Formats: sequence, structure tokens, C-alpha cells
Amino acid sequence: MTVRPVITRDQESGESGNQDSNPDSLIPGSADPLSRRRFLKVLGITGAGTAALGGCSTGKIEKLIPYLVQSEDQVPGIPTWYASTCTECPAGCGLHVKTREARAIKLEGNPAHPVNAGTLCQRGQAGLQGLYNPGRITGPLQKQRGVLQSLLWEEAIIRLAQEFQNVRGRIAVISGAGPGSFDDLLADWTAALGGRLIRYQPFDRAPERAANLRVFGLDELPLYDFAQARYLVSFGADFLETWGPVIEQQRGFAQSHGFHERSMARHVYVGPRMDLTGMNADEWHPLLPGSEAVLALGMASVILSERTSAPQDANVLAPTLAEYSPERVARDTGMTPDAIRKLAREFISATPSLAVAGGIAAQHRGAVDLCAAVALLNYVAGNLGQTVRFGAGLPRTDGYGALQELIAAMNAGEIGAVLIHEANPAYTLPKSAKFVEALAKVPFKVSTALFPDETTAACDLLLPGHHALERWDDLRPRAGVFGLMQPVMTPVFDTLPTGDVLLRAAKKVPDLATRFAAPTFEAHLKQKWGELARTRGAGDAEQFWREALQRGGLYGEAPAALPTVRLAANFPSSPASGLPTFDGEGEFVLLPVPSSMYFDGRGANRPWLLENPDPVTKITWGSWIELNPESARRLDVREGEIVRVVSPHGALEAPVYVYPGVRPDVVAIPLGLGHTEYGEYAKGLGVNPLDLLAAADGNGFFPYAATRVRLEKTLGYHKLAKTEGNPRQLGRHIAEAMPLTHAEKGYSVEESLKQVGVEEHEVNTEREREAIAGFRTEQLEKVALGAYAEEHPRWGMVIDLAKCTGCSACVTACYAENNIPWVGYDNVLRGREMSWLRIERYFEGGTEPGEPFAARVVPMLCQHCENAPCEPVCPVYAAYHTADGLNGQIYNRCVGTRYCSNNCPYKVRYFNWFPFAKRAFQAPLDLQLNPEVTVRARGVMEKCTFCVQRIRGAQHQARLEDRPLRDGDVLTACQQACPSGAIVFGNVKDPESRVVKAREDHREYHVLEELNVRPSVTYLAKVLA
Amino acid sequence: MRKLVVVGAISSLAGLAVLLPVLRRGSAQQPPAADSLAAPRLSVSDSGSLKGPRQPIFFRHDIHAGQFKMQCQYCHYSVGASSEPGIPSLQTCMGCHQVISGADSSHKVEIRKLRQFWTDSADATKPSLQWVRIHAVARHVHFPHMQHIKAMGPNACQTCHGDVARMPQVFKVNNVNNMGFCVSCHLARGVNRDCTACHY
Repeated sequence: MTVRPVITRDQESGESGNQDSNPDSLIPGSADPLSRRRFLKVLGITGAGTAALGGCSTGKIEKLIPYLVQSEDQVPGIPTWYASTCTECPAGCGLHVKTREARAIKLEGNPAHPVNAGTLCQRGQAGLQGLYNPGRITGPLQKQRGVLQSLLWEEAIIRLAQEFQNVRGRIAVISGAGPGSFDDLLADWTAALGGRLIRYQPFDRAPERAANLRVFGLDELPLYDFAQARYLVSFGADFLETWGPVIEQQRGFAQSHGFHERSMARHVYVGPRMDLTGMNADEWHPLLPGSEAVLALGMASVILSERTSAPQDANVLAPTLAEYSPERVARDTGMTPDAIRKLAREFISATPSLAVAGGIAAQHRGAVDLCAAVALLNYVAGNLGQTVRFGAGLPRTDGYGALQELIAAMNAGEIGAVLIHEANPAYTLPKSAKFVEALAKVPFKVSTALFPDETTAACDLLLPGHHALERWDDLRPRAGVFGLMQPVMTPVFDTLPTGDVLLRAAKKVPDLATRFAAPTFEAHLKQKWGELARTRGAGDAEQFWREALQRGGLYGEAPAALPTVRLAANFPSSPASGLPTFDGEGEFVLLPVPSSMYFDGRGANRPWLLENPDPVTKITWGSWIELNPESARRLDVREGEIVRVVSPHGALEAPVYVYPGVRPDVVAIPLGLGHTEYGEYAKGLGVNPLDLLAAADGNGFFPYAATRVRLEKTLGYHKLAKTEGNPRQLGRHIAEAMPLTHAEKGYSVEESLKQVGVEEHEVNTEREREAIAGFRTEQLEKVALGAYAEEHPRWGMVIDLAKCTGCSACVTACYAENNIPWVGYDNVLRGREMSWLRIERYFEGGTEPGEPFAARVVPMLCQHCENAPCEPVCPVYAAYHTADGLNGQIYNRCVGTRYCSNNCPYKVRYFNWFPFAKRAFQAPLDLQLNPEVTVRARGVMEKCTFCVQRIRGAQHQARLEDRPLRDGDVLTACQQACPSGAIVFGNVKDPESRVVKAREDHREYHVLEELNVRPSVTYLAKVLA
Repeated sequence: MRKLVVVGAISSLAGLAVLLPVLRRGSAQQPPAADSLAAPRLSVSDSGSLKGPRQPIFFRHDIHAGQFKMQCQYCHYSVGASSEPGIPSLQTCMGCHQVISGADSSHKVEIRKLRQFWTDSADATKPSLQWVRIHAVARHVHFPHMQHIKAMGPNACQTCHGDVARMPQVFKVNNVNNMGFCVSCHLARGVNRDCTACHY
């Protein structure tokens, strides 16, 4: 593990003089990689003045650089929004890109898009840190005698065309691009040159497709309707993290599993490790990896034997399913027969129900069996066509088998040239697959990667492409959805869209020039959309294109479910082939866990994701090894002790995290870190569990969880940078929950606690109550004074814990909106992280054998107390109460006594111990800064402002339009991003506002209510189904 | 768009005398010489002795806004809609100065400079026009220009910026980066004095 760099006091004092002399790092200077001309284009005039780092700017000469030609869609000071499509994962969510002075400053979801409906996950939002990443390749490069040297684009394209022409017929292209016009062009181009195109996504869902082919004869992925499901069982599918279109699934999950009209769906999670999806389950069954399929078949067996309404042809399954009696299943899984029967009966009694399987951590050798068993379970429960809908046209990739064939071909010298686009196989394939070695045998390797990664390190020619926000492109993430991408700003670096590279290279090859006639990819794309307009019967293709561009694409109705999906005629007599095997002899099964921050590793170079704590463990900036407390005791290791994990294929060392949510015979290591390249943030950070895995057998998919490992103690220690204080609530009643039986009856939190015999909140004594009453009178008197007596709104927020999953999308949204600097490993270790909004995660139970283990989450932000303890202790009135009920924090008044933070019971105030912003917003990341929010200097306290800049902006707009502020005019950044819709914000003085309606809920409570600080944030207790 | 219309109008007209009423948008037709706001004759060599910083072009607010009575918003186009007033693009300047070359040699010299910047803009190695900024508030202050125009009308500019229409060279009349200056006005008018009105 490499320790991240930390700002030391020396560095800081060395830099502080510099800050005063040149605080405006946006002004083009000698060290700035932006040329003056691009600066003009990118920034226009006011960017130079509004968003730069540093403090007061008096006493120095500032320059105003006018536009040459005023762009019609850019007005200084007013954001311009562009619709686009996210490419951070295959889900293909719609984006609204907020630009100010022609630079993208925030990504939000497109409300019209059917997949994400206006919200966006943390990975999508961090796409901006990909755009402005300082590690990006700044122009075309070629390797000469082992050294990368820059060349002109024209030279690079000529070289590409010549080299590929020389080896026509022996070309391979690996592409991670989703289906769309570019993918079609790439396929044509590759075919024209006689090459093979391999569409590669590391987090492939090949086992599910194979299972559906086996069970239904359909080689495709269905869409799962989480919103309709009344009972959910997930067999290892992390549908809130990386599996499938997570935002859509989370939205559906919040609809069904959130508490509405006195009822909610029940969610059961089956898997050896409790991940974020498991944390949101009402019941967790930690089965041995590989035995999940048996449980699914056991449930199907019970359903078939007890239910009469199962589909007719399901009866052919009866003989084979009869083998899976609850007793036998109990033997294989370790559950009791009664528990299996109960699960099956609950599953069938709720209609419709839904069972899902898949996910990387459940991708063992029996993954196809598991997915097939779950498909059967859905079939016998009658969920097909209800919550399981085929015909969605989800993208498919070529899978691991095709890559294995390619590696063999490369080793055999059959490949003369390789082009790698939007893929990093040198990292995402296990070392034992020997991809890098095979690639070295290819004479000419080209990469279009934006970042120098493990694969580009082995390439001869680097043709860095445009970021998705800089180019024209489209994406078809599913049937009926055509997402468009458009350049929202001038490219940050000297890059070229790969589509243009392909077209220009084709023109250098004599017989291809006519076939690829389009001058640019933009022209090609418009031509394709012209064809689409014709098929759609649109009269005016130009208008069709403009409307699509404005909307973000073409969003048709969701395709109707295939009318009847029946069991395949040749369905095998035995649905599962026994328990899967594991490599090696170690006592632990290794689970490589997909991270909801780093995804397949592509998120590892974005500080927003590195500092956004893992939703389960709350660890930042590094890898860890999850170990059950029992195993940890046996091995005599504690948290932070470095252990060596040894498999037959490799070994790695990382610190231990003791986690009751993982089986004692399993260790889990997150995927996505341990890069040897990939820029300054990712390189050398953490470990890559893929190093421990076998290259595996060629059954079409890569079995991630198929290795046994043993652990060896080392003498090392590496403190984990966790953002949590204590993992337990210790009776503080921070994250409240009530059983469904109480919620159904409309009990308040206190009534519910009384019922279950939990001690009430700390009761105030009579004298305290008297004091509180007296204080209240005094407060009311003060409210009648001065500005406070006027007619103002009063801002309040409601957070529904029954909907909040802890996904942490809001955290990144807050970072992006409010110019919050990341602080790095060393400072997180010292508790100096600046996350204005954090997700607190508390474990419940699991301390004694047999006690069920669970977790709760609660988003914690400034509570904007009416009676705020931080305000009276500020000697300079930097912390004060605004007339509209905000707890104001005035940076330019703050002198940094930190009294307010000491007095804050919620610990939501953050202090700039160092000039964090200077490092966090190093060029060109500073182009992302929101000009509406002050960048805080060293020595200043800061905290959640309820997005006061959005409130003031909405008020200004309302006044310009001579109208009162309407409910919904102000969305805080966290509320806007929340895929579950758990956050409601508004004026609590308006009786018609959504926030008031949401507050009138029997589940409402305030955190630390007994302190009488009267928070403006109301929580609605979680409901345990 | 409005600028383009004006450019079109200009190119179809022949001389300055015909042009002036267009720029004044139908204001009373008075010969410029008889205007009480007639700007003094000054050349760039005088700019050193005038108040305020010397600019790369001796741009005469007193001629444009004073003598010709051009609306401030003609050039500072976004002041009524945005927190930023906007400074005119070179294209806006050239919209008129494509045709207007100046009344005397001192004007001609400056307009030639402008045209040079415009021609040079095609060449990345040539310097671009960089005005010296006169009014700026600190970065922890958010001054919404549009709110002030909305509340005080389109001619409110001089409240803070002084009578620019009489300034041959713009200088700072009021220290706008002084909170006392803001607050005294807010006090006098009885408007919002909450800290988070400006500081966030």
C-alpha cells in the first residue's frame, strides 16, 4: 500500500505566498497547459473572475478578455444546459450537463430519460473528474525506442492506416463502447479491414444470458421490474451497486420497498457477504458460495408442490425439482427446512414477486446453474411477463471466451495489429490470463484510451479520444432508447474522437475511402439519424435531429414484454450440476467484490470516488480484506493488520477489516484498485484481487469467485481511513427503525420503541423541561424582532430512511455542487474529510452467535437547527441564523476558532486545516468549480448550506419574473441526485409544500431530539418488513 | 440577434449622419455638436493624466454613452438577466466600427487599434485585447446585477459606477468592494441585509 501524498506545513507555507501573488490559477500563465486561444474559447470573459481559487483580489490588476464572437447560447453568469448520455457504465443514463461560461460544471440526470428519470449515481457524476482529469493523455503519442513521443494527428492517422493496411485480415479490435452508431461504424471498419471485433465489458452478464438460453431458449437479458415486486429475493445480485441499470433498479426498489400507504415489499438477500444490497434487505441468509442455486431450486420445488396455479408446463419440472426437497436443500445450504418452506411460501403469496441472480461476487463456476435456478423460480412463481420482462434489447458483449480466443491467437502470432477502445483488459483480466504477454507478441498496438492505463503502457500508438462530454455520439442502451451525446465544451486537450480517427484512417486506405465517405463522425452520426428519422416517418429530418438533441435522444415507450416465454423444449433433466468447485486448498473462499465506487476499475482515478466512503465499510483511499470476527479471532488479527492472501495463482497483502457481514469461511476484497498505471490518484493505491485468480476455464464467462485462499499474518499495519466514528449506535437513537407491524398501525417512533421494550429517549427532568419551555418563549420573542419578523420562507428537509439505501450518490452531488475539496488518505485518517453530507452506517446485532446481523444508514448533514448550538459560541458572528431559517456560515467572517464545531452535536462542521482546495482543484480540475459557490481558504469553517446558492438563485429568478417562489423551485443537490427520492426539501411555512406533507408522517423523528436544538431536518424512521 | 440586425442596418447605410439616429433608436434628432454632452477632444496622450487605469484602447465612454447616448445595455447586454453584466465581444464593437472610422485623427488611431485586434484574432500568436478590470468584488461576494437593475431600473448603473457617460476614461468612483458601500445603500432603502444574500 502506498501512502497518499499529504500537504505538509512546509509545502503549504511555501505555496501560500504564491497564492497571493497569483491566486487566479485560471488566468492563462506559463504553467497552464491551456493555450491562450483555448482559454478564450473555454472560459469567455467571466470565468476568469468568478471561480478562481484564492481570497480577496484587491490590489492586483485583473484583466477582462472579451469574446471575439459572442456565442448565442452562452450568457455570462447564466448556466447553459445540454442533454447528453452517460458512459460511465453500460446502463446508458441520460444526462443534463450544466455549463457555465462554456465549461461543464455539474452533471445531473435527465428527467425525460426512461432509465434514470432525472437522477444520477456517484459514478456518473464523477464523469466530470474524468473530463478534467489531470492524468489525461494530452495528445497523440507514439512509442519510439521505448519512449513515448508526441506527433501530429495527421501523422498518427497515416501511421495507423499504413500499419493496419499492412496486416489486413490479421487485425483485432477490443471495444468497450456500447451499442450505437459508433459501435456500428467500428464493426464496419473492422470488417472492411478483415479484422475481428470483440465487444468487451469486464462486468459481463454472460452467465445470466447462458441461463436464459438454457431455461427459455432466449439468449438475452430481461429487464426486472423492481417497482412492481411485492417480494424480492436477490441471490447475490448487487442490484444497488454494479449489477444492471442500478439507478433504475434503485428507483424501483424505493417504490416497492419504501413504506407507502402502510405497506411495503419484503427483501431477502442470499449470499455469503452482506453488501449494500444485503444491507437493505430485511433478511440475510449467508449461504456458502455456490449453494444459492440449491436454495432457489428448493424454493421452486416447494412452490410447485404446494401451488396449483403454476404455469401448466412447469409440471414437467416436478420430477427433477422433487429431488430438491427442503430437507435436502437444508443439508446443502445450512438453512433449516422450515426456513426454506417459509421463504418459498412468502415468495409465492406475494404477487408479483421477483428473484434475481447474477453479479460479480456470485460469479462462481456454478453461476449459470444459479441463474438458471432463479429463472426457474421466477417461472414457477408466475413472474415472467410481470416482473421479469424479456425483449428489452439490453446490450450484449462477447464475453470472456472471445478474449481467451484472442489471447491464444495473439500468442500464435495470428494477430498483426490491435486497436483497443474504451477498454483496459491488461487491468481487468487476471494476470494469470497473460494478456499483456500475449499483447507484446502483436507487432502494432493502438489505444484510444483517455488515460494512460495498464493497456496503453503496452501500446505503440496512443490516439486519445474525446471524453463523452466533448464529442458527438449516440448510445442505444436498450430497445426503444436512443441516447445522444453532444460536445458541451471545447475539448480540454488535443484529443480527437475515435470516430473521426476511423473515418480519416479509412480515407488513407484506397478501397475504403468511398465506403467511409463521411468527412467527420458528426456528419456520419447526423446521416444515421437522418435514416432513423425516415424510419420513424419524421418529415423534417433536421427538426427531428434538433428535437432529439434538445431532449437528449429519442426515448420510445418501453417495449412490451414478449407475450409468452415458455420453458425451452430441450430443457435439461437436471437443472443444476451440483455444487461448484473452487481452485486451491485454502480455508477461505475469496470473494472479489465489485465496488460501487470504482466499478470495474475505471473510477479509481477520480478523487470524488476515492474519498466517497465505501457504503458498507466506510473505508476511503485504499483496499481492505474483509474477515469475519470469528476468523479474525482465530487468526489473531485485528483491523488494520496487514495479512498476506495466498492463492495458487498469486499473493497480495492488504489490511484487514473485521466485518460481521461476511461468512467465517469467506474473505472479501474489493475490485477496482491496485492499478500499476492510470494516473497519479490510482497508481499504487490498494490491491487488485484479480491477481489471485486463475485464468479459468473457457465456459464463456469469467468466474470471479472460484478461488480458495489462505491467509498469512505479516507484521505490517496500515490504518484504514474510515470515516465512521463508532460502527454501533450505542443507544443514541440516531438511525431509528420500527417493525412493519408497528408502522402499519401508525405508531410513532416513541410508541414503537416502548412496544419493543427499548428504553425511551433520555427523558428530560422536570427542571430541564421548564428550561426548554422558557427558552422557547424567549426564542419566540426573538423571532418577532427585526428582519425575522418579516414574511420569509423557512427551509426544511425530510429524509425518508425507508427509502434511503446508503448508495452515496448524494455525497458526490454535494462535492460537485459545493466545491468541496477532497483531502486524501492522511487527512481522512485524522478525521479531516470535508464531506458536508455523509452517510452514517450503523451495525445492529451480530455480536453473539445466532443473533441476526443488520445495518442501517442515515444521511447526516447540517441540521440547520432553529436553536443552533454553533451560533451563540461564534465570537465573530460567522455562524448565525438567517431570517429564512438557515444556519448561515459566512466564510469571510470566520476566523477559525472552531468553537462552533466543538459545540455541534451532529459533528457536521468541517474545518479547512490546510488549503485543501489548492490541491483538490489542481488544473484542469479547477475548470469544474461552481462559480456560484465560494472556494474556501485555509482556516475557515464550512458546512452544508442547504444549497443556499440554489435558494438565492431561485429567489432571484422568481423576482425577475414577478412571481412568488413555488414549491419545487429549489432542489438541493443531494435531493436532485437521490435515485430513491428519499430527500424532500422545501418551505415548511407553505402548508401545501411537499416537505410539509412529508413531515406529517407518524414515523417522523429528529436525531438527538432531547437536546432541544430543534433541527430543520426531519427523518422518517426506517421500516423493517 | 439584435446586434446582427443592427449590423445589417449599418451596412446598408452610407454615412455617420444617417447612422446616428439608428444607434439612438429614434431618440430626438439633434446634431451631435449641439449636444450639451459633447465629449471633449482628447487623444491617447492625454489618457495618462486622466483618472483611472489606461486601457489598451482609449475607449471613450463619454463619447459612446454620453455624446451618442447609447444605452449601457447595448454593450453590457446581460446586466438585466444575469449576475454578470457582460462585456461586449469584439464583434459587437466591429458591428459599428466596420463602418465608423472616427471623426478625427485621435479617434481614428484608437479605432485602428480595435480593427487590428479584430484582424489579429485569427492569429493565435498575436496578443488579444485585454481590458483592465476596474470594478470587481471579492470572490466570496455574489453581486446579482440583474436584481439591482430590476429593482432600480435600467439607468441604475451610475449608482455604483458613477456617471460613466461623462468619463473619458473610466475610473472607480465608489469602492464597490467595500461592504460598507453596499450596506449603506441597503440600509437607506430598507432592503435585505442578511449575510447570505451576498455571501455563500
